[in-house]
Amino acid sequence: MKSSSSQIPFATGAPALIWQILFFYLPLALIALSSFIQLSETGEFEGLTLSHLTNFLTPTYMKVIGSSLLLAFSNACLCFMIGYPLAYFLAFSNKKYKNLLLFLLIVPFWTNFLLHIYAWFYLLEHKGLINQLLMSLGIIDTPAHLINSRFAIMIMMVYYYLPFMVLPLYSSLEKFNYSLIEASLDLGASWSNTVRRVLLPLTSPGIRAGFFLVYIPSFGEFAIPELMGGDKFMFVGSVVAQYILGEGTGSLGSAFTLLSCAILLVSAILLFLAIGWILNPRRHRV
Amino acid sequence: MRSITLKNLSKSINKQSIISNINLTIPAGKFFALLGPSGCGKTTLLRLIAGLENADCGQIFLGDEEITHHPIHKRPVNIVFQNYALFPHLDVFDNIAYSLKLKGLPKEVIAQKVIKILEAFHLEAHIYKMTSQLSGGQQQRVALARAIVNEPDVLLLDEPLAALDFKLRERMLIELIDLQDKLKTTFVYVTHDQFEALTVADQMAIMNHIGEIEQIGTPKEIYEFPHSSFVARFVGTTNILNGKLRGIDQEPEIEIPELGRFKVYMPHKREWMKEGQDLMVSIRPEKIFISKKVPPNFSNQIKGVVQSIVYHGRSTQYNVILANKMRMQVFEQNEEHFAQEVIDYDNEVILSWQKENAVLLEK
Repeated sequence: MKSSSSQIPFATGAPALIWQILFFYLPLALIALSSFIQLSETGEFEGLTLSHLTNFLTPTYMKVIGSSLLLAFSNACLCFMIGYPLAYFLAFSNKKYKNLLLFLLIVPFWTNFLLHIYAWFYLLEHKGLINQLLMSLGIIDTPAHLINSRFAIMIMMVYYYLPFMVLPLYSSLEKFNYSLIEASLDLGASWSNTVRRVLLPLTSPGIRAGFFLVYIPSFGEFAIPELMGGDKFMFVGSVVAQYILGEGTGSLGSAFTLLSCAILLVSAILLFLAIGWILNPRRHRV
Repeated sequence: MRSITLKNLSKSINKQSIISNINLTIPAGKFFALLGPSGCGKTTLLRLIAGLENADCGQIFLGDEEITHHPIHKRPVNIVFQNYALFPHLDVFDNIAYSLKLKGLPKEVIAQKVIKILEAFHLEAHIYKMTSQLSGGQQQRVALARAIVNEPDVLLLDEPLAALDFKLRERMLIELIDLQDKLKTTFVYVTHDQFEALTVADQMAIMNHIGEIEQIGTPKEIYEFPHSSFVARFVGTTNILNGKLRGIDQEPEIEIPELGRFKVYMPHKREWMKEGQDLMVSIRPEKIFISKKVPPNFSNQIKGVVQSIVYHGRSTQYNVILANKMRMQVFEQNEEHFAQEVIDYDNEVILSWQKENAVLLEK
């Protein structure tokens, strides 16, 4: 049965591929298509148009996309800064506790997402736990404005997305040969030099995976900004929802989705290259 | 080149004592081997000197300077790891240049030094290869070059040849000896392989299972005059006979039950050498002469029956059963294609040795 070996990869990948085509590529093509279709008031096809797209090329909508990019970028950076030391600790912690610690990282996913949001409400609201605590300690006199702020959105974003950063970093660090750190220190590198020249470059696959696992979904995040930010902030998710769910504005929603996806893709490519450049060991070359 | 002195050094990991109360001086500019069985704490000792582990108590001196609490990267000591720990994301050049760049040397100086050392190690053809493209022996040399280019006072080698095949290991041992001879850097070589230790060392220390040093000396002293049965058994092969010491004031002998009395040699009288004392005598297999007829001029002789014969090429090993059912090993050099006297299985043989070639050991 020699000939069958080349057929195995296709056979094993087929179910996933069919699924992807039916429920991802096809809808994506439909969205792309509907962005260019002009429909009459009664819903009849009138022809192709670019007007849906150009409709959004205004400072207002660019600002929405810009703040979504900023949200996604700051979320990915914060998750990285918090997540890397955590993943390092997990990867090199005592084998006995490793599985327990990983389990603790996953546990929050077992409870409902809305429950997390309401828990944070309770912590952050005007008379919430944090304000009460700060006031009783005499650090502040009047309750701080915590809920419905950028701060509240950011906290919830990091809280929710952190495991997506930590898990790929962990798997990358777990394979890391610890004696390379020892070799670097032994050869006269300080800890910060060792991190910069050895640890980060060698775990760059994990860093990239974690960064984009956080960055890309954060960009379109709908529920967290909507619930934690009140109606004060406009992000891509809210605009898309508004148009797609609105009456007769489906094409506009599709066009905006397409436009923001294109911008996200460009930004992701640029970031990918930037991360590669920062972590490239050849930068330190003589 | 500087010496290393360890004073009352102890270390335990997870509440288990690894090494306890080690006192050792490693002379400056010498090739020093630390030999011990697996898990005896020799690697821990090396890591303590490098600063990769912190001592629980005791002191480490480099020359006259105490370095017990110096951080790793500030110690003028470099280590060659057992798994080499080459940086997989850097090529050969950048691996070797690593420590030089950290020192902030000018680019031309770095390039010069790296190329010089690459030539010395016959690696110039591989300068821009990634380390994963190199063979085991080449990786080993890159690891050595990376440590040496830094010009450390002391070079620590942690079982550096363990992953190489026998022929290559033999060649690398010679290269290491030549290198140490040229550089005059203090080398500390950790191994569990007695062949490697005996080959390279000017001085060596033997560690036992519980992390104590049993004996320090030149390879010859260690091999020929072991101080304990552990050293006698661990370094080389030996035959150990148990008996009682007799005739201590005239002609000392050891009395072995069922076998009789054998002459022994007592150049230095030790405290434990008392009349009637239980002790051991160690006789190396190559120091015993095996024959069918009684040979002249030997101080000791014993009868036995050949149980098995193992041919090793340059020598043949005879396992001989004595009257008390004890097994003695004998090595004979295969000096001629056709031996004068053929010794075969089940032959009755005479084992003979000179009393000066047997070592008395405390029990």
